[in-house]
Parts: sequence; C-alpha cells; structure tokens
Amino acid sequence: MYNTKGDNEHMKARKKIILIAMSLMLILSAVGCSNKQTTEFNADKEITVIARDAASGTRGAFHELMKIKVKEKETETDNLAVGALEFDGTDKVITAVEKDKYAVGYISIGSLSDRVKPASINGFFPTEENVKNGDYVVSRPYLLLTNGIENDLVKDFLSFTESVQGQEIVRKMHYIGAVESPKLYEASNISGTIKVAGSTSVAPLMEKIQEAYKDLNPNVTFEMQANGSSQGIKAAIEGTYDIGMSSRNLKDDEKSQLNEHTLAIDGIAVIINKINPKTDLSSENITKIYTGEITKWSEVK
Amino acid sequence: MEKMEKNNQLNTKENMMQLVFFASALVSVLAVIAICLFLLMRGIPAISEIGLKNFLFNQKWAPTNTPPTFGILSMIVGSLYVTAGAIIIGVPIGIMCAIFLAEFCPISIYKIVKPSVNLLAGIPSIIYGFFGMEIVVPYVREMIGGNGYSILSASIILGIMILPTIITISESSIRAVPKSYMEASLGIGATREESIFKVVVPAAKSGILTSIILGIGRAVGETMAVVMVAGGAVMPLEKIALLKPIRTLTANIVTEMSYASGLHTESLIATGVVLFVFIIILNTALSLIKTKTKN
Repeated sequence: MYNTKGDNEHMKARKKIILIAMSLMLILSAVGCSNKQTTEFNADKEITVIARDAASGTRGAFHELMKIKVKEKETETDNLAVGALEFDGTDKVITAVEKDKYAVGYISIGSLSDRVKPASINGFFPTEENVKNGDYVVSRPYLLLTNGIENDLVKDFLSFTESVQGQEIVRKMHYIGAVESPKLYEASNISGTIKVAGSTSVAPLMEKIQEAYKDLNPNVTFEMQANGSSQGIKAAIEGTYDIGMSSRNLKDDEKSQLNEHTLAIDGIAVIINKINPKTDLSSENITKIYTGEITKWSEVK
Repeated sequence: MEKMEKNNQLNTKENMMQLVFFASALVSVLAVIAICLFLLMRGIPAISEIGLKNFLFNQKWAPTNTPPTFGILSMIVGSLYVTAGAIIIGVPIGIMCAIFLAEFCPISIYKIVKPSVNLLAGIPSIIYGFFGMEIVVPYVREMIGGNGYSILSASIILGIMILPTIITISESSIRAVPKSYMEASLGIGATREESIFKVVVPAAKSGILTSIILGIGRAVGETMAVVMVAGGAVMPLEKIALLKPIRTLTANIVTEMSYASGLHTESLIATGVVLFVFIIILNTALSLIKTKTKN
C-alpha cells in the first residue's frame, strides 16, 4: 500500500503530459491553419526561382536548352540568378513550389505531380505527344549511335533497347519512350563485349538497361565510358566504340555518317504553384526569370 | 602447484580481457585516423590543384562552368552566419531553461520538461528539416518576408536543435555547484535570485561555456535540416542578408555529392577538410576551457 502516493503522482504526471501534448497539438494545428495559403496572388512580389544543384543532369539539360548556360568558344558560363534556391532532389523542388505561391521550378516530365501545375511553354503543355512531335521545346533526345557497322551482338542489344522490356526501363526512369510499338525481346544466348561511350546524361539510363540485358544474357559484358555527347559521337564515327551515346541532336555532317537509334526522350516541365494565374510562359521569359532579368511575376508578359 | 596454475589461468584471462578493452579503445582512435587520412589524401590534392587562396577566398562557386571555379568563401561565411544565428536564438533560451530546471522548477513540472528536452535530442534531423520546410519557412515567408528559405529559418531550426545540448550540460553543471556557495550567499543577506544569478551561475561558468561550444559544434555540422530550410543558394558576400537564402559548407557537400565527378567530387571532399578544421578549432577551444578551469 505504501506505493499509492507514488502511483498517484505518476498518474498526475501522465495526465499532465497528455494535457500538454494535446495543447501542443492544438497550437501546432493552429499555426498550420494560419499558414494555409491565401488564394490572393500579388504579382508584384518577387519570383522565387528554384533550380537544381550544379551536379544534376536535369539542371544541365534545362540550363542548356533555355540558354541559362551560355557557351562561347572555350568557355561555358551558368548565369543562374543570384539568390536562386538550389535543391538536391525533385521531391524538394515539388514541395517548395507547392508551398510558395510565387515559386517556379523545373523537374523531369515523368516526375510531374498534381501538387503543382506545369506551365505550357510557347503554348504547348508538356504532354508526351507534344514532346514527341517537337512542339514542346524543353526536351532532348537520348540517342544511341553506330557508324553502320553493327555486329550481331550490337544489333541484338539495340533491339533490346527498343523492345517492350527496354522501353519499360525508360519509363521507370521517368523518361518518355521513343518507340512506337515495341516488340517483346527474346534472349538468344549471345556472348561478347560491347563498348559504349558518350553522354553523361544518358549513362545512368544506359547502366540500368545494361543490367537488365545482362540478366537475360549473362555472357555479355559492357565497357562504358561517360565522357560527354561530343566524345560519344566522335567515338561512334571513328568506330573506336561500338555505340556512342548522345543527349543532343546531331549536326548535319554527323547525321550522314551515323545510324541513329532514339532510346528515349528527356522532357523537362516548368512547374508553378497552383494559385499562380499564369498558365503559359514563353521560352524567352523562362530564360529571363532564371537569369534574374525578370524578378516579378507582373513583369512576365 | 594447482594454485599456480589457477593463477596463470587467471592471468591469461585477465591479459586477454585487457587486450579486448584496449582494442575497443583503439577503434575510435583508428576511426579518427582513418577519416583524417581519407580527408587529407583526397582533399589536399584538390586544394592544391585549385589553389588554397582561390579555394578559401574566392566567393564564386561554379563547378560546371568551363573553366570551373571552386571558391567556398560564401559557404564559410554562410556557416558562420547560420551558426551565430543559432547561438543567438538557442543559447539564452537554453541557459534560462537550465537555470529554471536546476533551481526553480517544481518537481511536477520537471517531470514533464526534462523528458521533453531529452526527446528533443532524439528527434532525427530530417524531421527537423521537414518541420522547418512545412512550418517555419512558410511562417517566415508570410509573417516576416522574403521567400522563407533564409538564414533566419535555418537559425531558428538550429537554435531549437542545439537546445538539448545546452540545457542538459548547463543544468548538470549548475547542479554541481556546491550547496555551500548558495548557503553562504544567503547567509550574508542576498536574496535567492541574487544568489543564483550572481553566485551559482558564475560558478558554473565553465560548464555553461562547454555546453555552448558543443552546441556550436552541432550547429556547424548539421546538414539535413539546414539543406531543407536554407535554400542552398551560393550568395555573393555583399548580397547575404537575414531573409535571403544561404548555402553552408555541409549543405554544399550533401547537395552536390551524388552526381559530381572528377575535380568537382574532390573539391567537395576538400570542403569537408575545411569543415574538419572548424571542428578541430572548436575542440581545442573546449580543451582550453577545461584546462583553464582545472587551474
């Protein structure tokens, strides 16, 4: 019985903890409510410009396509606006745009979520159709190139990349498939080594496809070097590598020397907050926003 | 004879156990040496390639430009600002809480506050980051200004994160002040409040300072939470402001490490070297305080 007092005190303390926890929750939810975005949109507020970190492939592609990154003969300069936020993942970009009425960000089309809205660019929304027929400008092809001399192994691998299985990996990695009606791939117990070189952007997707291919053809090995599109094109023309990877369209003189296989299309969506009354952005305006020339939504015409 | 054998057995057992304990002690030393070697071996070549002056005192960080620039001055300053902000917010609250807990707190309230402080210490930093991104950042944006991702938001989150360190160590150092100090002070006619603030707290000074330095260490090294609320922009020095985004040394490493290659990766490890030097300086300060109080 001598324990009763202690027990009582325990009970009291416990009750108090519960009470405090509940009041804390109330306060927190009140804070949460007061933070709900009002639907009022003040176009004179500054645009919150959101970019990806410098090492991101999406950033590399977007900044190049939108001329945020300017190339001159020997130099390349990224003119991203001072004070632009940089996040290291698509999910953080989406959350930031969802929470901030005045934000603009960019993500891979395959990662689009209904928490934000994609802007149409020059009048075209980032749909698969618009990307495929070239109306949506913020996209680039992932090309596999050979100089026409394709041995059975290379042919077999290329047919795998264009098969149902290969294109499924493309979709899983959030890219747009480029093959109209892919066929089912069947392994034929082939062996040998395939040498691949080129675009650092294509390399991660290529790696995944190679893994899947090796599961079906365990006797095949790959040598891959990720050293940039230009190197990949050069290597394919010279034949020093079996397959060259490129994440840019070919120039005319390159086209005449190479066989092109479009592995996938990488499309990038520009996302804005759902409350933002804007629906369309021109590519010039996007460039201006991201280089800091335009800082308010009211200046976006 | 038998006794000798038993003794021998005991001795070997003892020796073996001694070895086990010694090995355990060695693990942490080896870990420090391994980390040091890794940082220096990978970081120093990068620093010498970039140039020490260019690395530390250039504020332009453009690793993907051609030619690239790797200057981390903006991030060094960023780390300093954010840490200073955390100290300004966390230290007064922490110390006052510690004094309250040690001297004024009724036992019933103590039973609630103390476990809460301990819980605060155990919350993973990613949770602080989420809390910051979903609550603090929008709050700063709506109520104070800017877009919310700022030195201020990072300071608030870090200020909360260093509270448990400061409270726990300060409280125990205040409690460790001998009762006779208090009694003597009361005896010569000082009030209880005067005795606490003018006698007990100054007597606990070194413990409180230690808690602040450990708090600084935590704030400088914190990564995940800062990445989520500070915005990650590399700001030119003249544009750094309380409501503007910032990038810290830790944030620089974690945001770019995943896809970086070549000299870019090495320069991020070199950023780690600078961070390591920061921590060494803090630890030296800590041991200086300790030797000073012993004397």
